[in-house]
Amino acid sequence: MLYLQNVTIKRDTKIVFYNWSTKIKNSKITIISGKNGAGKSTLLRAIAGLIPLENGTIKYNNDEIFKDQIKWGQNLIFIDSKNGLSKDLTVYENLKIWSEMRGWNASDDDFQKALNSVDMIHYKKMYISQCSEGLKKRAALSRLYLSILFDVKFWLLDEPTNELDKKSIILFNKLIQKFSENKGTVLLACHELKLFDFNYELLNLDLLKK
Amino acid sequence: MPLESNLIQIFFSHIKREFLINFRSLIDVISIISFMILIVTLFVLGIGPFEEKLKFVSNAIFWIGLILAIIPSLEKTLQRDYDDGWLDQTITSPLPLEFILLSKSIAYWLIIIVPLLISFPFFVILLNISFKLIPWLFISIIIGGLSISLIGIIGSALTLGAKRGNILLPILIIPLIIPILVFGIGISETITINESPKGNLFLLIGFTLIYLVISPFISALLIRIAVSR
Amino acid sequence: MFDWLANPNRFNRITRKLQPFILFIAIITLISGLYFGLYDSPKDYQQGDAVRIMYVHVPSAWLASFLYFSLAISCVFYLVWKHPLADLVSSSIAPIGALFSALTLITGSLWGKPMWGTWWVWDARLTSMLVLFFFYLGYILLSNAFERKIDGSKTASVLAIVGLINLPIVKFSVDWWNTLHQPASIIKIGGPSIDDKMLLPLILMFFALSFFSLYLIILNVKTKMIEKKCEALLLKSNLEEIS
Repeated sequence: MLYLQNVTIKRDTKIVFYNWSTKIKNSKITIISGKNGAGKSTLLRAIAGLIPLENGTIKYNNDEIFKDQIKWGQNLIFIDSKNGLSKDLTVYENLKIWSEMRGWNASDDDFQKALNSVDMIHYKKMYISQCSEGLKKRAALSRLYLSILFDVKFWLLDEPTNELDKKSIILFNKLIQKFSENKGTVLLACHELKLFDFNYELLNLDLLKK
Repeated sequence: MPLESNLIQIFFSHIKREFLINFRSLIDVISIISFMILIVTLFVLGIGPFEEKLKFVSNAIFWIGLILAIIPSLEKTLQRDYDDGWLDQTITSPLPLEFILLSKSIAYWLIIIVPLLISFPFFVILLNISFKLIPWLFISIIIGGLSISLIGIIGSALTLGAKRGNILLPILIIPLIIPILVFGIGISETITINESPKGNLFLLIGFTLIYLVISPFISALLIRIAVSR
Repeated sequence: MFDWLANPNRFNRITRKLQPFILFIAIITLISGLYFGLYDSPKDYQQGDAVRIMYVHVPSAWLASFLYFSLAISCVFYLVWKHPLADLVSSSIAPIGALFSALTLITGSLWGKPMWGTWWVWDARLTSMLVLFFFYLGYILLSNAFERKIDGSKTASVLAIVGLINLPIVKFSVDWWNTLHQPASIIKIGGPSIDDKMLLPLILMFFALSFFSLYLIILNVKTKMIEKKCEALLLKSNLEEIS
């Protein structure tokens, strides 16, 4: 379980969440929905540790996650609209260095499979600066496959399907299914719910506000 | 996961990444070198071709040229990673941000050292630098380069997302860099008058060590502020 | 202690009572300081009446350094306890500190003309003061360089703290540089040889300027508080118009 207890998050002077508690079930897929500006990205970024909490705690299985950011970092993958890909590196180099940075000893075979899982194998030598938005997104999502191999527990995905075409969305659905078979927890912000063909819990931010 | 045993490997993969990004083409190296040589040329043109005059100021020109040539490339080092979202990825990775920034500064140091060492012979010839100075200048560039890159990372983190960051950066950085210039020139001056440069050298090393300790923490703090926007 | 004072209402209440006293002390010490400085103190046997510039120059220099120190301390408070009032204080100190370091540079230069025959001498003290001025300038520029005020405040606070670490090193390195290039010959100001008659106005002027700047800082903080309130009201009325 991921417990959010009495969480207050401020953006500039605006309070986005005030004294809010909720829990997110393990090994389930939770979709965060809500209109623009409801705080979907803010919530994901706060759980990822990118935005400091004004007040309250976030606990994962009784451990406060920000007490031990290193342990939390091992459990976690965060992908948002920025993707985190360096323009001057190729798709393959980006994935390889990203995984090395996390201390993973992935073999070349693993990278091939990861790129295959999002159908990027033909683009592997392409520079990110030459890629379209959809290709970039797929390159970023190729990390998801690797993370299943290396025992990551949590995916935090902010609008992962925005730039994807139909075929890629099917591949993305497959990845999510594979992950939930491995007891992984997905927290996903999205406003188009009909894209997904799996069971999910819904966390509607419009309902709890004000 | 035994992360600790991987630290060295992770460190090297960071350095590899910086080199891949910065030295994708030879053009980048050539442009930095030409910039440095042009700065020196400007100085010499301004002073006039008198050997006597040049002898007095060659040390200063050397150091100022070095600092001016490094500053323009500083702004991009973190800004690029910030825009790409790479910094978000490093914060959510299982490593302390401070460690990553330390490897980044060392990578940046190696990156500026390469063109500096290539352009070194040009400097020696153009500025008529005497023979006995060369090894000492060599050492002081290497140490001074490290402290410049450590301070540079702080400057780069300070101007993340700032308006007119490219103009702001030198204003913020140059006051911080003054001691490097003083100690660096001190080394060459003491050699010229046949005294021991050890005092200046130790001061330069000490200054570098201070920033080696504080720079990763300060820039990590700044990056956390920048990312939480 | 700080937390207790950091309540804006309490701050207002206390400072309202204190402000007249502060101004009073400032005026009294200024008048007496100027009297002793301009009339009742000896001429310097070398510099003549030009020495009287010292009564503005030296206190400004002390104050400029002291204000930078307080600026950095208040930035530490802001970063650690995140209280908005600490940010208002540091952003109020910055322009006043910059003013005093500029005043030091200007009076130093005015003093330099009769003493050394040039408007500017690269002596160690003046050079460090110039660097200090650029730290103030950097703080002010950086805190205004972001789209949202709060980003600027946080980032500039870190810069101020870096400056606090770096300034003593700069000071040391500039002294070092000076001895390297011109073995000490410049007259030491504020050394032990100074006449008592000169020391009295010097201290009086220092108090005058400190209390005056304290008065200005409080005024500045209050103005910024009112500005903030106005902004909040405007935002509120805009929101009401929309909905």
